[in-house]
Amino acid sequence: MAIGQQSVPMRWTAGPLDIARRQKEKDFTPEIAEGLRKWLDPSLLASLQGTPVNCLVVSWASGLPTDAEQQQALQPLLQKGRQAGLDFVGLVEGPADKTAAVAAARSAGLSAVAMEAVPPGNLGIPVIAWAKSGQALWGAASPVLGVSDGLWPGVPQEKTPTGGPTNLPWVDSNGALLAMAQALAPGKPVWIFVNPPLQAKLTVENYLLTVADTAAYGGRWVISLDDQMRAGLAAKTAQAAAAWKKVTDLLAFFEQNKASGTYQRMGRLAVMSNFSEPDRVFGEDALNMLPRLREPFRVISRTHALAASFDGLQGILYVDQEPPDSKLRQKLIAFVKAGGTLFVPSKWPDPEGSQIQLSSAEAYLLFNVRALGKGRLAVAREDKPDSYFTCMDVQNILSHRGDPARLYNGASMNYFYQASAQGRQGVIHVLNYSRRPGSDNALIYLKTPYRSARFVSPEIPSPVALQWAPQTSPYEGGGAELSLPRFSVYGAVQMET
Amino acid sequence: MKNHFTRREWLAGTGAAAGCLLLRPSLSFAATPLSNPAPSLAAKAPSGRVTVGRCKDYGSDLLPTLEKMLDQLGGLSKLVKGKTVAVKVNFIGVRWQRLGNATMEDTFWSHPNMIAATVHLLGKAGARQIRVLEGPWSTAETLEEVMLSQDWRPEDILRAAPNVEFENTNYLGRGKKYSRFMVPGGGLVFPGYDLNHSYEDCDVFVSLAKLKEHAVTGVTLSMKNIYGTTPITIYGEGAGIDEPAIRPQGGRGGVFHAGRRAPSKSAPQQIDPSFSKDQGVRLPRIVAELNAARPAHLAIIDGIRTATGAETNYGSRPQAAVNPGVIIAGTNTVATDGVAMSIMGFNPLADRGTPPFTGADSTLRFGEELGVGLRDPARNEVVGVPIAQALFDFAAVRERILREAKKT
Repeated sequence: MAIGQQSVPMRWTAGPLDIARRQKEKDFTPEIAEGLRKWLDPSLLASLQGTPVNCLVVSWASGLPTDAEQQQALQPLLQKGRQAGLDFVGLVEGPADKTAAVAAARSAGLSAVAMEAVPPGNLGIPVIAWAKSGQALWGAASPVLGVSDGLWPGVPQEKTPTGGPTNLPWVDSNGALLAMAQALAPGKPVWIFVNPPLQAKLTVENYLLTVADTAAYGGRWVISLDDQMRAGLAAKTAQAAAAWKKVTDLLAFFEQNKASGTYQRMGRLAVMSNFSEPDRVFGEDALNMLPRLREPFRVISRTHALAASFDGLQGILYVDQEPPDSKLRQKLIAFVKAGGTLFVPSKWPDPEGSQIQLSSAEAYLLFNVRALGKGRLAVAREDKPDSYFTCMDVQNILSHRGDPARLYNGASMNYFYQASAQGRQGVIHVLNYSRRPGSDNALIYLKTPYRSARFVSPEIPSPVALQWAPQTSPYEGGGAELSLPRFSVYGAVQMET
Repeated sequence: MKNHFTRREWLAGTGAAAGCLLLRPSLSFAATPLSNPAPSLAAKAPSGRVTVGRCKDYGSDLLPTLEKMLDQLGGLSKLVKGKTVAVKVNFIGVRWQRLGNATMEDTFWSHPNMIAATVHLLGKAGARQIRVLEGPWSTAETLEEVMLSQDWRPEDILRAAPNVEFENTNYLGRGKKYSRFMVPGGGLVFPGYDLNHSYEDCDVFVSLAKLKEHAVTGVTLSMKNIYGTTPITIYGEGAGIDEPAIRPQGGRGGVFHAGRRAPSKSAPQQIDPSFSKDQGVRLPRIVAELNAARPAHLAIIDGIRTATGAETNYGSRPQAAVNPGVIIAGTNTVATDGVAMSIMGFNPLADRGTPPFTGADSTLRFGEELGVGLRDPARNEVVGVPIAQALFDFAAVRERILREAKKT
């Protein structure tokens, strides 16, 4: 099978190269080396039978003396795996001789290699562009894009209590990266490489969250097991087998619920950028901050913005320091004149419209606001504004009066909302980064409720029908709420008109 | 990704530990420093008049009930006619964290109908201008925006009387400078406080609070409501070191609860830098100081619908949304809180070690010692519905929840 959308990858850490790499770590023990040797045993491939995992990523070349030994040692595994219908991707890292590594991979029958710098020309084997998120080759002609520095998701557990000034705890998530990737490389599978933190005491929920934090956002985590889990599976312990089953059941769950992968993200705000330097950090920060402010958003690549629909948007945060070309500027200004609010950097040349005199109580705002047609053009006052305060001010200027969706009682949760092209179906994905059920049921509010709603989660045996409760607050009206069953890691509300 | 110092990383490193602190009430029984620098103030503490009314919900009975109660206090006109009235409401905590399905206004926040009714009656009594004030958690958003985030209609409050406006007092707001309020007698922890101009630019000050317990101070009523007058730009985690920050960031826990950091140097500093770090020692004194420095002329406590167990949703505590159906109003915050505590089933003369003050000193005691008012209902004039008829036993609700939790 060709590497692509259908591939469900797993990092198969085994052999001399991985041992050599781990020997550099301070926690290295002979037991770890033994575990890595054991995972060369083709019989362990039995743990993949009946699971969605169909592609194994193996260490192939690192420019170390052990490269050839590694490639040789993998042969039985490759042979057995191919017989079982598995694809293999060889990871080529560091100062490895890429030409030799590719030749060896072809000769060994690998399905692809993954490497950071993709050599030009046809190498006779698919190459997965594999890079840090900041250097990702979003336009690469690669069957899959690999991001080598994904985040291990969760609530960071530093020594001191952490959290944003929202008083919601901070969460580490790959959601921003994947939202960005989908805008910059639409339709392209994105693999997130992130290993479990060394020396951490992991529970199965850690794995489940990492699967969900990538799959829900349309990406793939290249499953990577810690030493303990690998040892447990090699020893066929019941505990490890049960944990592994939960992980693969969750993979299967996402495979079965892939329909929403084609849905569009919903939000009244769009973040528009090419997410390239010098704007990448600010843009990615904004995508991280907005969920913590409970502001649903979509992402529009500046390159693709002329073709993008602005329907349903109330605001656009134009991130890039480089002004848009004249056609895009015309489109953006037309959006404002029709009633939208456009937020632009301080360097926006010759701002259109007329300055609105803000009250002294609004002096803190990071934007000067200009009236233009029925809408507003908000021009940043500073060249390098704080990303969190920028997002707060964007939300404040847009006003909560138009909130399309909200999440209550999910301090450690993020959510995002998608709808089908015709709007007949919608889904709200909710991820729980605390990895344990909350003390209160999370509540989802929608300004425009659907006719029916049900809650699905791999943690419950069958979907649960949900009842809309009209907002009883005596006030804005129109919205309704759903009370979600409690869950540890992931749940989704599937809705239909 | 890691070669940049992202905002996310910055937040993770320095963020509002205050919020986390708030979630960890002290359970210590540290010795209470006895420190009343001005015992003569206690002798001058005025008695007050407090009224109790029954009202089952926020519907049509609310306005006549509240009007009758305020008449029982002597009528609003004498107090507010031709005056600028500031009404400090209560929008505590994180707005996205409810108690189960219950809305914020039915549990932890001042209810919009209660605010609107109060505003309406102030307008009817001839108030020249009515300013609704609050410093909601860590934000410079307008109060309209905070209300809209809960689907309220701020227009209902703005139109409840002529000349109504809102101000978020977490920062400088519409003022040109902060106003300084000194604590009579020199203070217990701080000699004074710098507040948003709104607390000075008013003739009458009203504390419109909610009837609640508090994880640290035992109860949070009309006295504790005034704690929220302190601007985050000076007393928050992200306050400026020398001068106030431009915009609020973080909570007040670092300065007030834990004494972990000082307020901006532009404001009065702690009298004794080595003063206790025990929030159960600090908070009651600070709250009392604020009440003495910026006394309220009128206290109104919304106990129609509220929550037991704590001032906001802590998740791990036995809490419930309840419907005591009661309003308490009075002419000073200490007297009003004393009656409110009695209605909640607590002894207003209790102190550290006795519920609800299991981990803190009594805020009411310090209020009395600083001359704000008298906490013993017997030393005040209590009118309206007798306390016994309005009793709603908060501790019993907690015990019931714990019993039911044990069963399951």
